[in-house]
Amino acid sequence: MANDIILETESLSKHWGGIKALNDISLKFHDRQLHGVVGPNGAGKSTLLNMLCGTLKPTSGCIFHKGEQIEGMKPWKFVRRGIGRSFQKTNIYTDVTCLENCAVAAQRRFTGSFNLFASRHANKLVRDAAEKALCQVGLDNRIHTVAAEISYGEQRQLELAMVLATDPCILLLDEPMAGMGHEESLRIISLLNELKKTYSIVLVEHDMDAIFELSDQLTVLDNGTHLITGTVDEVRNDPRVKEAYLGKEDEEEAA
Amino acid sequence: MIFEKRTERIFLAVFFVIALCIPLFLEDNSFFVGKTTTVMILAVFVMSLDFLVGRVGLVTLGHALFYGLGGYLFVILTPEYEAVNFWIYAIYIMGISALIALVVGIVVLRTSGIYFIMITLAISQMAYYFFFDSLEFGGNDGLFIFMKPETSIFGLNFLNLDNPTHFYYLSLLGVLITLVAIKVILRSRFGRIVEATRLNPERTEALGYNIFAFRLISYVIGSTLAAYAGLLFALQYGYVNPQFMTWEMSGTALVMSILGGMGTIYGAILGTITYEGLQYFFEHMTEDWMLFMGGAIILMVLLLRKGLAGYLEKLLEK
Repeated sequence: MANDIILETESLSKHWGGIKALNDISLKFHDRQLHGVVGPNGAGKSTLLNMLCGTLKPTSGCIFHKGEQIEGMKPWKFVRRGIGRSFQKTNIYTDVTCLENCAVAAQRRFTGSFNLFASRHANKLVRDAAEKALCQVGLDNRIHTVAAEISYGEQRQLELAMVLATDPCILLLDEPMAGMGHEESLRIISLLNELKKTYSIVLVEHDMDAIFELSDQLTVLDNGTHLITGTVDEVRNDPRVKEAYLGKEDEEEAA
Repeated sequence: MIFEKRTERIFLAVFFVIALCIPLFLEDNSFFVGKTTTVMILAVFVMSLDFLVGRVGLVTLGHALFYGLGGYLFVILTPEYEAVNFWIYAIYIMGISALIALVVGIVVLRTSGIYFIMITLAISQMAYYFFFDSLEFGGNDGLFIFMKPETSIFGLNFLNLDNPTHFYYLSLLGVLITLVAIKVILRSRFGRIVEATRLNPERTEALGYNIFAFRLISYVIGSTLAAYAGLLFALQYGYVNPQFMTWEMSGTALVMSILGGMGTIYGAILGTITYEGLQYFFEHMTEDWMLFMGGAIILMVLLLRKGLAGYLEKLLEK
């Protein structure tokens, strides 16, 4: 069982001045599992994700990828190890086509990017991989459309396609379904169900139905601290979780 | 096809046909041959800046540093009364400029945005005052080139640099090579990541690219091309002085590139010709030419939001 741990954090903390955005988080992410992360606003979900992908450096604590300590590395080295991420706020190249968006993501896998002479359009592998990623998320009819001209939901799908095009082994997804229509969401849910058979996925999401349906492991964060990690049923029945989500409302009512 | 836009192809075809023929009409007017040569050399410089500012996204105000270096390195490295081979020394000087650009780049690229503008400006001003105050490099008067280099390749000699028409064609060749080199690079796999880095650096890094390396290599390429332009300019006039490195020089080139249409590369040629043409026109019309020049530029920037190239594209692209 221990061998399938692909990503692990050890008392990970992030402090902004005196504010503890995240405090003493130790988690294990397993291969071929979808690990949901939920919690009220400001619980530190995005901070956690930003540290897992190298964008934020932890104040203290360690991150291990396949047993190797990686928290001090540059963000682009995280990606090269197979840790791919999507952003909460859509982060794509709006001025170029969907295909080109994914081609940027895929190019690194097949050819050197320091070639100053070979045409960017010459490599068929890059193109095929980019098209494949677009088809996976259901954007097959948008391949040659400029990314600024597709709908918001489609841009979220494109964001996911770009991560897939990097061929990661672990996907860090920050609210991939935010702002999507119902049908688009269903499509992504079934896609994630498919993907978790081959990838390890860390999913931060506000849509509780989706996350209960998808998660193999579920972590609840509250106010920067780790409340519980367990199966969906364990979490659902935990009194501390109820308190974190509902307790505050009681206090408000009492006040 | 590295020239993707119709407008681009039409403009460049017209430009090179006219440029090739110019000396035929100006054979006995060496002033105009000299003037057009200068325009060609400046076009190389402005294209290299347009590549950095418009395509890599590095807004530098210190580009003239390398323009001056190209000239100074030639005088410093060559014996005073001996004609050296132009091609060998051009490569030699560009190599050294590339090394200097690498070191400068490693420092300046640690910053971005407004800080990048300030630090590039500061470094080029430091170089300016270094040459301005140095006795061994001629101070404010600069250094003179007593012998123009010879240009034989494998014993064949087509060009005589003392002949203004020959020098003109050498500069025109510089425009062609710079243009093609930049366009090939932009279309390449490297160019794809450079473009991605300009459009969205955060995203590009999150896709696994070391954006610092891509910016650094681009900076070295742009700076090296600028050094080549500076070398040609020094050879044309037979001297180099600290004026080559002033921030006005960087600023003027930036205006030319904006005027032409930032990031279009061929627009840099258009912008240079227009700027130099306007300046010549106003200079001969009135003493207060700077006033008119400023007015004309403000008007053009206001009316043509995407520069002259953008205007041409509106006319010619369907």
